[in-house]
Order: sequence, then structure tokens, then C-alpha cells
Amino acid sequence: MEDEITPHPIKITINQDPDQNDKHCSSILTRLHAGYFRITLSLGAQALLWKTLVEHTHESLALQRVLRTLPSTVILLLWWLSLFTQLTLSLLYLLRCVRHFRMVKAEFSHYVGVNYLFAPWISWLLLLQSAPSVVPKIISYRIIWVFILPVVVLDVKIYGQWFTTEKRLLSIFANPTSQISVIGNLAGAWAAAEMGWRESAVCMFTLGATHYLVVLITLYQRLSGSCRIPARLRPVYFLFVAAPSMGSLAWNSISGSFDTSCKMLFFFSLFLFTSLFIVNKECTTIVAWWAYSFPVSFLALASAEYAQQVKGVVAPGLMLVLSVLSILVFLCLMMFTAFNTNLLFRENDPNFNKSLGNTIH
Amino acid sequence: MPSSPLEIHVQNTKRVLFIDHDEPIFNNRTAHSYVPSTYAGTKQPKFLPEPILAGSAFDETVACGLFPNSPMLPPKNLRTERLKDKRFDYFKTWSGKFEKQLSHLRGKPPETGPDANSPRKVEVETLHVDRYFDALEGPELDTLRASEEILLPEDERWPFLLRFPISSFGICLGVSSQVIMWKNLATSASTKFLHVSLDVNLILWYIAVALVAIVFIIYMLKVIFYFEAVRREYYHPIRINFFFAPWIALLFLAIGVPPSVAQNLHAALWYILMTPIFCLELKIYGQWMSGGQRRLSKVANPSNHLSIVGNFVGALLGASMGLKEGPIFFFAVGLAHYTVLFVTLYQRLPTNETVPKELHPVFFLFVAAPSVASMAWAKIQGSFDYGSRIAFFIALFLYFSLAVRLNFFRGFRFSLAWWGYTFPMTGAATATIKYSNEVPNIVTKSLSVILCVISTLTVTLLLGTTILHAFVLRDLFPNDIAIAISDKRQKTSRKWFHRRTVSSDKDIENYLKFAVSDSNDIEASLAPPSSITNTSIQNSGTAGTHSNQSPSGPTP
Repeated sequence: MEDEITPHPIKITINQDPDQNDKHCSSILTRLHAGYFRITLSLGAQALLWKTLVEHTHESLALQRVLRTLPSTVILLLWWLSLFTQLTLSLLYLLRCVRHFRMVKAEFSHYVGVNYLFAPWISWLLLLQSAPSVVPKIISYRIIWVFILPVVVLDVKIYGQWFTTEKRLLSIFANPTSQISVIGNLAGAWAAAEMGWRESAVCMFTLGATHYLVVLITLYQRLSGSCRIPARLRPVYFLFVAAPSMGSLAWNSISGSFDTSCKMLFFFSLFLFTSLFIVNKECTTIVAWWAYSFPVSFLALASAEYAQQVKGVVAPGLMLVLSVLSILVFLCLMMFTAFNTNLLFRENDPNFNKSLGNTIH
Repeated sequence: MPSSPLEIHVQNTKRVLFIDHDEPIFNNRTAHSYVPSTYAGTKQPKFLPEPILAGSAFDETVACGLFPNSPMLPPKNLRTERLKDKRFDYFKTWSGKFEKQLSHLRGKPPETGPDANSPRKVEVETLHVDRYFDALEGPELDTLRASEEILLPEDERWPFLLRFPISSFGICLGVSSQVIMWKNLATSASTKFLHVSLDVNLILWYIAVALVAIVFIIYMLKVIFYFEAVRREYYHPIRINFFFAPWIALLFLAIGVPPSVAQNLHAALWYILMTPIFCLELKIYGQWMSGGQRRLSKVANPSNHLSIVGNFVGALLGASMGLKEGPIFFFAVGLAHYTVLFVTLYQRLPTNETVPKELHPVFFLFVAAPSVASMAWAKIQGSFDYGSRIAFFIALFLYFSLAVRLNFFRGFRFSLAWWGYTFPMTGAATATIKYSNEVPNIVTKSLSVILCVISTLTVTLLLGTTILHAFVLRDLFPNDIAIAISDKRQKTSRKWFHRRTVSSDKDIENYLKFAVSDSNDIEASLAPPSSITNTSIQNSGTAGTHSNQSPSGPTP
């Protein structure tokens, strides 16, 4: 037996998926990406809008007649729903970080995925702001830093890479989702101003405004070497509306009143909204549809603040129109998602899960 | 000598397939409002139908334009009159209506099938913006490149309406901005020492109103009669900005209205005037951001300032009327887009083909936006505060950096658009007057006087040049080449030829009809039909040699 030259034994090992049990869970984790936080972003924005509208109706008689139908229980319900969704998604994403850290890293290096990493923190900030009086202010005061700090860290990393290294060349990689990072800064500024910290608020606002200027100009130029966003991605263009609206809200909180700069930002956002309205809209997945909701909610919020400052007919009318639009969009999205929850995670989004896909979700 | 008509067809095939690229367009567009009834009876079957005959007259003239030594040059008499009219039918608004009526004259009904399809396709086809860049050059994109051909003959004088470009509204801009300047000179506290009378403002205002009315009417006529030309101007990367000019001129007139004519204008006027500006800018800014062709990195040019200035002028008028929110709205929109445009122009990106390489009067438009913005902000805020001063100093700096380079502004062909470039100078002068109201000292006052003098001198000089060109040189309105560029370059015509060979027989037969009549319609008008065959044979030889150099046309 041993005299003969025996061939090397060929070992065949079959690598199986170790856990067949939580295969379903694993597949959700693989499909989850930061873009899903658009849902919680929209939920939070909507809750904040309802809360703001109700607050304003106490001051304006005209609105009371219209918005009396929004009972406070519904608002509370919405807030708890957003909180629950946010907690679930955050937990799932945490699990994903633990189990599939490689994928999270790939997201970070993708020129679109990296921007969505701001989305969870923005959602948390919005949730804290829209918290009903049940949640004491002290808690918000303490934990708001937990959410602003990651934004600053991401800022330093990403914005620093913009102008120091060639890793993320802005002229090539700038795309409408880059505005989410700006919105993150502005949301942080807004939250800080609401808490009363003026200096940090101004600091965050400056960060947001400066980089917004750079991103806006680069995006408007649509340089020929840049990554083109395919025509299917219209919802992403609504981010153009979200950024100046958030800026106007932030400056409103900082300066105390809806002054001329806030008005200018609000009007610019309104103009962009009008011009985008005409653009043909198509979407690929349900999550992409959610990208419509929060920019319109932000715009409606800004118009609510504007209507508070400017009396008359036009301003409250504008507020009404935008709020109704925002609520309608939100309700449609809720129903659509409710009826198609199976599609929510089943759709394999190759764009996000591939590390360097050129097509964007 | 070919014994049958068929052979003549064959001989002329090659020529036809090269020349008749525009055939689908002109075949149907030039519906030939007048079908020559004289030819109906005398034609041999191969020369039917008349519309094709007449349509080929176009190609004939195009060919003639290119090959001056061609024996087919028409003697210039009544035949040329008919040719002229048909050549411009493509640009006429209503020539298309006759197409349907006369399509039955094309001959065999089955032919109208493929025939009717292609023109419809071509009718809705618009020139891609790249085409303008390929075919034209120059700081105002109005000079034809050497390798390009145009749809209309270059050696003929086109109808006046076709030669009347939208940039003629620049005159209105130039004159109406003068109105504002003289009004401010007469009414401002800091320039009271000049003792300028308000009569100057009054006279100028009436002149400006008359001018605006005249130019408006003429251009309306152009819209009515030559809509295609207007459409082509709309798609021109530089001329599109001049579509703002009429409304800006009207806004200037409203701002500069003499106190004796009207003290307070109704707010409704503001809304009426701002609506077209709003719609236009929705379209254009939207295209910058997300539309297909007109990417800012590619089409940004100093004339884009005209689209931005409209916002600031509207804000100025609204604020002086007492409106609050509307002016801020337009100021915000204008400011945001101005920042983007300003940075893009300063960058002079390599992909940018429209920024002139040398200095050109169009660069004075840089001064327009900040100076008007400073005045608008001063009116909105109520006083010439820091925001206005920042804008004003930017405008001054740009003005000076252009003024010291004055000796580089040489060697350019005068065009009516230059009037439009004077309004920034006048705007800067007016802003200086406003600034000197706020900060009255010897420096600011003398600066305002100097700038006003410069502006007045420039306008007077331009007036003299305009009169010179209008009455002495008679070339104030040259042929507007920019709107007559063809759809495709010359070299693609060869590809088209290969593609054509596999197309349906019906198409080829149709083109053959063109070809034959193409070569003969000149002689046909003079010679009796019996000699047509002879002339066609003689011409087919020359036609063959010319076939390789035929003009470009749209590929089907």
C-alpha cells in the first residue's frame, strides 16, 4: 500500500452557510443599507411637521378650522411609530455592522452610500425635536450630543477627503446625495439652536453652508467627467429642495426670527421645488419613493415658519398647500409600503451592495 | 445618348443621393405654395410631380451656391424670384399646411407612405445644442465654421424678418438703461450740482418706448411668419439669453418712468412683467441642473448674465413699488444662480466652448449683475447697507479690470448685440450715483460723474456706428447665419448614402424624381420639354463629378 505512489488525497470541503436558521435574518442584513433610513427620515420629518402645524394653529384662527382634524393622539401615534421604526432599523444596522462589517465598509467607500450614513443621525435629531411633551426636555438636552457628534466625525473624514486627497474627487464624485451631508450639518445646527447652544449652532451652520455652496456649484455645473446620475433617479433631485429648506429652518432658530436670509433660502428652495415638479419622475424601488417625502416635509416646515412671520394671504396659503401636499405624499407612501412590505426587503438592491457599482439606487 | 428615360434616372442617381439630404424636409416643408401649373402639361412622366420639382429647386440653389462654376446656374429673372421664396419656406410658419393639401400631387399614393413618415420625423427634430457648437464659432457663436454649410444661400440677401435677430432687443436695453441713469442724475441729491433737467429723462423715455414698441412689433412679425427661425434662435446657446431682453427692457422703462408721466405704478404691472421671466428661468435653470443638453459646464457664457440680471431688475422694480416678498424671492433666486454662474465663468473650464478666448464686449455683462443687485438690495433694505456695498464694490472692480484692458477690445465685427453690452456700464454709473447719495464726498461724486460721462459717450459712439452701418454700409442686419445651420455635418452624408442604398425602392424612386428635375428645373423654365432630356444628359456628367462634394443634410 505504501510502496505505491499514492496520489495526494484530494480533500473536498463544502463550505455551507453556517447558520441555516437565521438565513432569513442574514439576508435582510445583507440587503439593508443606510438608504433605508430615508423611511425614518420621512417619518420623523412628518411627525415634526404635524407637531409644528398644531402649534401654529393655536396661534392662527384660520388654520384652526382646517387643521382641527389632527387630533393629538394621531400625532403621538406617529411619533411612536417613527421611534419604533428608527429603533428597529438602528438595531438591524448595528447587527449588520457586526456581522457584515465588510459590506458597511464598502458602503462607506461608495460615493453615494457614504452620504446616506448621515441619514440615521438626522432621523434621530428629528425624532428628538418632534418629541411630544411626554419626553422631558432634560433627556433631549443630554442625548442630543450623541447624535451630533457622529455627524461632526463624518464631516471631518469626508469633507477632509474632498479637499486634501484624491480619494473622493468632488469634480467626479459629486452627486445630489452629497447634499445629505449638508443636511446633516444643518439639522445639527437646528437641534443645537433649539437647545439653546448658539455657538455650536452657528459653527455647524457655517460648516453646512460652506459645503453647500461648494456642492451646489459643482452639481449645477454638471462637469463632463462626473458620474452621471441616470434619469431614473429623479427622487434624488428632491434633495436640492431639502437642503436650503433645512438651512432656512436652522437660521430661523439661530437668529430667532424668520429674517431676510431665511426668506431667501426658503424662496430658493421653493423655486427649485417648482422647477423639479415639472421633471418626469420614475422610481425603481419603494425605498427610493421615500426620498420624495422628507424634502417636501422640510419645505412645508419652512413655509410654516415663514407663515408665522409674514401675515397675509399668500404665506398661510402657501403653508397650507405645501403641508397638504406633504401629508398626502406621506400617507400614500405609508399605504403603499404597508401593502407591499414583502417588497421592502426582498428587492435586492445591487447598486448598494456592490462596492463600486456605477448605477445608483 | 441614353435611349430611355430610365437610363437618365440611373445616371443621376448618384448625384441625387448626395444632394438630397434635405429632401425629406424640403420636400414636405416647402410645400410649394405655388405649384407651377405651367409645367403640369409639359412634363414628361419622369418629371412629375411638381412639388418635387419645385422642392428640388432648393437643392438646385444649394448646389448652385456651392458650385459657382456649375453650368446649371440659373439666369436671374423670374425663376429666381420663385426660387427665393421657396428657399425660405422651411423657416416660414405656415408652409407646412400646404404640404398636406399637395401631398396627393406627389404621384403614386404608396409613395406618400414612407414620404409622409420621414418629414414628420424631421419636423419635430430639433437641432442638438452640440450642433451649434460644431457649426458655429466666435464670441457670439454667429460665424460659420469653414467646413460647414448652411441651409440658405449665403450670397443672397434673406428676407428682412429672417435677418432680424433677437439680439436686436439689445438696443432697447441700452436705451432704456440710459433713461434710468438720466432720471437718477436729475433727481439724486448728490448730483444736484450738475443741474440736469428732468426733460432729458422725459425725452429719452419716449424714445425708448417707441424703440421698444418697434422692435417688439418686428419680432412679433417674425414669430408669426418665421416661427422656425425663432425656434432655432431659442435653441442657440447664446441667443436664448436674449429672450430675457424684452422683459428686462420693459422693467427698465417702468423703473425709469418720468415722474410727470406716472408717480406710482400699479403692482399688477410687476406681476405681469415678471411672469415671462419666471417661466423662462424655470426652463433654463432647470436645464442647467437636470436637463439633458445644456449643461452649465458646457454652455456657460457671459451672455448668461442676461438671464440672471432679470431677477435683480425685477427685485429693484418690486421694491420701489413697495412690494415686500416678491422682490426677495427673485433676489434669492438670482443670487443663488449668479453665484453658480460666476464661479463657472471664472473657472473657464476646458469643456466650456462658449467663453470667448479673447476679450469681447460681451464681457461687460459681468458688471451688470452685481451693480443691479446692489441697487435692488438697497431698495429692499431701505438703505445702501453693507450687502449693497459689497455687491457694488465687486461691480466696480470688474468694471475697472475690463476698462484697463480696453485696448484688447479690438477687431470685432459690430453687431446690434453690442447695445446690450452698454447697459452694464450705465447700471454701474447709476449704482455709483446711489452710492454717492449714501456716502457723499468728492471721490464718489466725481466717480459717478466720470462713469456717467463714459456711459453717455459709449452710447453716442454706438449710435453713430449704428447709423453708419444702417445707412452708409447697409449691413446692419446681415444674413443671420446662426439660425440657418444644417442638421448634420458633411461627412456623415456618406454614411447616409450607404444606408440609403438599402432603403426601400420607393424612397429611391422618389429621390430619383428629385434628381432629374433637380438638374433640369432651371433649364425647364426656359427650354421646351423636348430638350430637357438633352440637357439632363449634359448635366449628368457634371453632376457626377460634383456628387462627391455635395452639401450635408440630415440623415434620415
